[in-house]
Amino acid sequence: MGKRNDAAAERGYRISRRAFLISSSAAALAACAPSTTGNAASSAAATTAAAAATAGPPLKLGQLLPFTKVYAELGNSMKRSTDLYLKLKGNKLANRPVTVIYEDEANDPQVGLAKTQKFIDQDKVDVMLGVVATPIAYAIRNAVDSAKMIYIDTNAGGNALTRTTNNCTPSCKSPYIFRTSFSSYQISEPIGEYMASKKGVKEVFTFVADYGFGTESQADFTTGFTKNGGKITGSLKAPLGSADFVPFVTQLKAQPTKDIYSFFSGADAVKYIQAWNQLGLPAAGYKMNGAGFLTEQDVLAVVKEQANGAITSLFWAVELDNPENKAFKDAYQKEYNLLPDVFAVQAWDGMQALDLALQATKGDTSDKQKLIAALEAVKFNSPRGAFEFDKDTHNPIQDMYMREVKTANGQTVNTISDKIGRVTDPGK
Amino acid sequence: MTLEDALQQALNGLSFGALLFILAAGLSLIFGMMDVVNLAHGAFYMLGAYVALSVTRATGSFWAALVVAPLALAALGLLVEPLLLRRLRGRHLDQVLITIGLSLVIADFIRLRDDWGWGATVRSLPFPAGLDRSVAIAGSDYPTYRLFVIAFGAGLALLLYVLHRRTRIGALVRAGVGDAEMLSALGVDTDRLFTVTFAIGAGLAGLAGVVAAPVFGLQPGMDVDALIYSLIVVVVGGLGSLSGAVAGSAVVGPADTFGKVLVPQFALALIFAIMALVLLFRPTGLLGRVRIGR
Repeated sequence: MGKRNDAAAERGYRISRRAFLISSSAAALAACAPSTTGNAASSAAATTAAAAATAGPPLKLGQLLPFTKVYAELGNSMKRSTDLYLKLKGNKLANRPVTVIYEDEANDPQVGLAKTQKFIDQDKVDVMLGVVATPIAYAIRNAVDSAKMIYIDTNAGGNALTRTTNNCTPSCKSPYIFRTSFSSYQISEPIGEYMASKKGVKEVFTFVADYGFGTESQADFTTGFTKNGGKITGSLKAPLGSADFVPFVTQLKAQPTKDIYSFFSGADAVKYIQAWNQLGLPAAGYKMNGAGFLTEQDVLAVVKEQANGAITSLFWAVELDNPENKAFKDAYQKEYNLLPDVFAVQAWDGMQALDLALQATKGDTSDKQKLIAALEAVKFNSPRGAFEFDKDTHNPIQDMYMREVKTANGQTVNTISDKIGRVTDPGK
Repeated sequence: MTLEDALQQALNGLSFGALLFILAAGLSLIFGMMDVVNLAHGAFYMLGAYVALSVTRATGSFWAALVVAPLALAALGLLVEPLLLRRLRGRHLDQVLITIGLSLVIADFIRLRDDWGWGATVRSLPFPAGLDRSVAIAGSDYPTYRLFVIAFGAGLALLLYVLHRRTRIGALVRAGVGDAEMLSALGVDTDRLFTVTFAIGAGLAGLAGVVAAPVFGLQPGMDVDALIYSLIVVVVGGLGSLSGAVAGSAVVGPADTFGKVLVPQFALALIFAIMALVLLFRPTGLLGRVRIGR
């Protein structure tokens, strides 16, 4: 082997590595870029109404929802609900024909902010709704606040969005922001109180997703549980979107506290519940407790009876018995041949609250203060029960329920086991 | 951590490593032969899992899916290489871009196929009958399917080793990795060899998708996760060699698992740190070697 060969070899290896590095950075770019290919929902004006002779000026709504990535199905569900509401209202709110512009938040705060700017500057929408992921809601908070754009959050549950916080970090309430979903306090703190005071549970071990919302849920649960004499014996966090939950569940099984409190949703919840069963935790006497999303329909449809016995708290369940829920379920099933989920309820209530407020202002959206006052005064019976906004925070005041997963006749559902009653976010 | 826990976690790490090996072997094979980093590898993995879902639903047999899905992906590979990649041979960046494009098309295709029972919701593939229970190991229950994954990964590594070292196609692959131009000059149809290699690589991605589906489930985004893990494995182990894929997955699987157990906040950072260290001190990977230029 001469010197020339060595040099050639060296060069060869360099070329390969360079090719590889180029490829890898391209991969990173691809991962960052919003995927919009073939997305029928994106940028599509989904409903355009022919203005009737007597109709008022057109009303433009901007819906920022995920249609790609991990939360795509949540976005689909919320879009179905919005479309159904408008269809039942003859595509008019307060006699104004409605156009909805759907944009994909792509589970990325930067993309969400860019699309919000588009709604404000380019589309000039009258009201904005949507957003599933809390980091995106936080990212767009200042943009909608300074543009005086009325925005109704229909999912993102981060506490700070409707609270007074130090230096508005990571976010804070705004007169222009309303929420028809929940704050993480509302779905986490009451179950802590309930377990300690009503169930007499002495010790709990917590296991949550390691991101803002999971951490908040864990802290709120801990507050409610320890305030009533309970003791947290330890805690564990799993990175969001962990591929494998068995290593974590192995750790749960290696510690003695039998009651586990968890916050996971979607695919994470599925993997967690499957690992829980694979490692035989039910037989070993462990009990699964959590915030409601741990056992929502998307999860139950996959894990089925593996989730039996799990206790969760939420403001709604398919099984909830009231006339509004029945009407909503029937209409949704008739239109889509599907059971609605909690995300559909939240989007539905967003439209309903807006509808009622617009009726109060006779369709006027130009006077923002008047519309804010009208939204603050809105009270109605939602599929979840009596709904109103807290005038101070714009977060909903709503009933919270304890639910237990049961399987009967091949159907696995959340049954209502107890009612906790009205829960208001403390606001700071 | 007690000894029993450590043993359980070691098994978890090994089974994760075995999955990573099945996944990374195809990526490494394609790169070694064709000098293409196939960024559609994660999408092939995802498609393999969804094909397995449909086959299992139709036939009720996981084992049928284990055969059909890799073959379906290999067939796709047989189309993709001559139709897309061959035209761009030698243009690395263009080839990589086209594989990214392909991965987006596949992921969106899966997302929009609600009518096939695919779509954007989370799906899961049940464990095959007989492997759906647990056995007592070190005083605690351990899922048998994970033991199967370890055995399957090890068996596949052995099979690939024999194919690679003892058969004619293996000799051609080794020759192609060494110097494809010279091989072509010797009268071997390298176009066909590249097509076959790409198909085998795609089939391996599909196989990984089937084996992983009962453990990890099926959902949007699984393609990106798989791609990132497999890239880390081949960088750590050494690009383009079978032994590199073995070494990389043997390091990354257990490191990821024990990272989650011991320092959960830094689990993902840990494997990236390992990758960075390997790149600093052994840029060709643990078992990589300096390659002859073309």
